Amino acid sequence: MSPDSASRSSGNRRRVAVVIGSGSVKCAASLGLINVLRREGIEIDMLVGCSAGCLYATLIASGRSVAEATDMTRRLWTSEITARRDHKSILRALLPGMMGFDASFGLRDDSLIMERLRAAFSDERIERMQIPLHLAATDFANGNQVVFSSGSVVDAIRASMALPFMFSPWRIGDSLYIDGYMSDPLPVGVAMKEGADIIVAMGFESPYQERINSPGRFAFQVSSILSNNLLKSQFSFHGLAHHAEVIPILPEFRQRIRLFDTEKIPAIIEDGERAAELQLPYLLRLLEAEEQGH
Amino acid sequence: MELSVKPAGNVVVVEIRGSVDGLTADKLLQTLTEQVQAGHVRLVADCAGLDYTSSAGLRALLGTVKQARQKGGDLRLAAVRAPVLKVLELSGFTSILKYFPDVKDATASFG
Repeated sequence: MSPDSASRSSGNRRRVAVVIGSGSVKCAASLGLINVLRREGIEIDMLVGCSAGCLYATLIASGRSVAEATDMTRRLWTSEITARRDHKSILRALLPGMMGFDASFGLRDDSLIMERLRAAFSDERIERMQIPLHLAATDFANGNQVVFSSGSVVDAIRASMALPFMFSPWRIGDSLYIDGYMSDPLPVGVAMKEGADIIVAMGFESPYQERINSPGRFAFQVSSILSNNLLKSQFSFHGLAHHAEVIPILPEFRQRIRLFDTEKIPAIIEDGERAAELQLPYLLRLLEAEEQGH
Repeated sequence: MELSVKPAGNVVVVEIRGSVDGLTADKLLQTLTEQVQAGHVRLVADCAGLDYTSSAGLRALLGTVKQARQKGGDLRLAAVRAPVLKVLELSGFTSILKYFPDVKDATASFG
């Protein structure tokens, strides 16, 4: 547990964490959850994010409004960020002996997404957020989950969103990191380690492909199968092994959400709100019981 | 949460209504454990009125499944509603627990 967590848990009040799992633009549903929690005056003691969930966890932890977060997402997350191929990386893959293949492989040039992340977050630091923030990525050398509770917001988000094959792993110090979903797509265990008692966990299953007519879709299908099974096994383990109360919030989307469907964000937020409203009575009852000293 | 226990031949049906969470899971576990300890190891949880379960509820179900199976029985679920089924699926419970569309089928599955 970080020193900050320890100091905040000194009272008897049960600590509430919000965990936002991987799920590309679907993670905007977490803004609907936050709308509901803010309306009810429920205090959040920490935020945990993974992959695109890092983006929203950071926006919420920094105190930005839902409108600001929506606007920033729309500017940041467009199909242009994957439009440019990384020709050097592709050549290295095709001619590894001649060009020298290494762990920095990624099919897409990340310069635009980095430019946008820097424009959005500049030199913001994780440890200076209004609400304690923990961003989960995966160590590319050994597959272990790595949690950034301090350091550059831009670096941590880029590391946690380093979708294998699409974007190159991201170097911080001496280590390379890849997408957080590779170790745990819904990292409730991070909130448990940080001392949360009540964990509101918004998770998303990766979509399966309607048609597999390209190597890219084939790779996405394999990735979805692996990550969905990992999601279930990790969620099950943490839910059963720990005493913390996990309240899963699993939005049902009224329409299919594709990778860059940012124009659907208002509807996604509504779906997130609806899913949160369904679980709200139980969350309120737990918090009321705490006030009554149960 | 409200519970009622009803014998149905060689099976005991435990009807669960309301929600199972950190405040109510102990009561559920205690009720189910009492049944197992009394030798009623063929259990059906009627979930038609169960509208929510958190991780605490899942721990109670898992604890009972283990106890019942160790004694040669089982806990089987009936009439699980869609929101609860989604949580069971996410938690991998559908791969370790048998569930049926209604109490009749769940009870009959014990033979």
